[in-house]
Amino acid sequence: MTRARVCALALAGALAVGGCGSSDSGSDSGGAPELKASGAYVPRPVMDDMAGGFLVVENEGGTADRLTRVTSDLSDTVELHETVDRQMRQVTSFPIPADGELALSRGGKHLMFLDLARRPAEGDKVSVELHFEKSDPIKLSVPVKATNYTPPK
Amino acid sequence: MRTTATRRAVAAALVAVAAAALTACGGDDGDDGGDDSAAARVDGGQEKGGAVLDRPFEKPDLTLTDTEGKEYDLVDETKGRTTLVYFGYTNCPDVCPLTMSNIAVAKSKLDKAEQRKLDVVFVTSDPKRDTPKRLGKWLRMHDPSFVGLTGDFDTIQAGARSVGVHIEPSYEKKNGDVVSTHGAQVLAFSAKDDKAHVLYTEQNATAQILAKELPTLLKGGTP
Repeated sequence: MTRARVCALALAGALAVGGCGSSDSGSDSGGAPELKASGAYVPRPVMDDMAGGFLVVENEGGTADRLTRVTSDLSDTVELHETVDRQMRQVTSFPIPADGELALSRGGKHLMFLDLARRPAEGDKVSVELHFEKSDPIKLSVPVKATNYTPPK
Repeated sequence: MRTTATRRAVAAALVAVAAAALTACGGDDGDDGGDDSAAARVDGGQEKGGAVLDRPFEKPDLTLTDTEGKEYDLVDETKGRTTLVYFGYTNCPDVCPLTMSNIAVAKSKLDKAEQRKLDVVFVTSDPKRDTPKRLGKWLRMHDPSFVGLTGDFDTIQAGARSVGVHIEPSYEKKNGDVVSTHGAQVLAFSAKDDKAHVLYTEQNATAQILAKELPTLLKGGTP
């Protein structure tokens, strides 16, 4: 137990040091998050009641952000889900670490579109807007792929 | 023992994903093109096919209701036939349709004679919401020949457990969300002895792998 606490302290220390370093390097270089979304796709839904969505948000900035909300023309209800132990759970936001990325991918985190406006066909585009805690929203035109699509290696 | 073997396979798959995810973090190149992006690397280990079990599983003794509302005895109905069994649910946007679609695509690559020899059975892990009608509608979108079974959850859970598949009953959260579990693997039962000698995890139940290995399974072999 003590060891765990020491570790936590050491970690906190390291973070604090890291923090000092970056503020040293001056003029807010670690300032705003810099987000970029890529690789988005929606597997063609089986029916018109729900669809999943996957994408990656990279953050090249030195500050973390959060994906807080998603809107789309495919559905009025887009939830953020994560899969833990093969169970889906709705969450209110996804963290996007500084100098890191948020990856929504098969078997893990995903968007869940409910009560679809239509059952899109493969090749269709779905408009999706990502909303963040700090950054401006990002608009995407997301391709609809085959139901069993997984991105190539 | 059985569970351990299964768990180990699943654990290995998870480790592979974790490793892939770690590599993905470094990836900073794939900007546009998207398809080439970090997430793409998560499906590493795809070359690895089905895992051959040291101790094959007996077919679960399940009598449930099919999509026509009729009684369906899994052991009787699929006796002497190559059978793929998967436990999942239809209110699932990711892994369940992915798995069933992979099986459908792989099956479509077989010749007609081979296709006729294969049974695919989807057993719901969420019988409360998966009525025979809903199951039927959902499965027909994948392949009209797929069998869908629903019934008493405890029966389904016990059947799943007997083949190393762990599922939990669906429950409703305070906010009204229903949480359900799907199985982590597809079991391939041999026509020769009606036992599952091979299992596919979420990571390797891809259309390519299944298409490649199904002909061998249909001959009673293992990959």
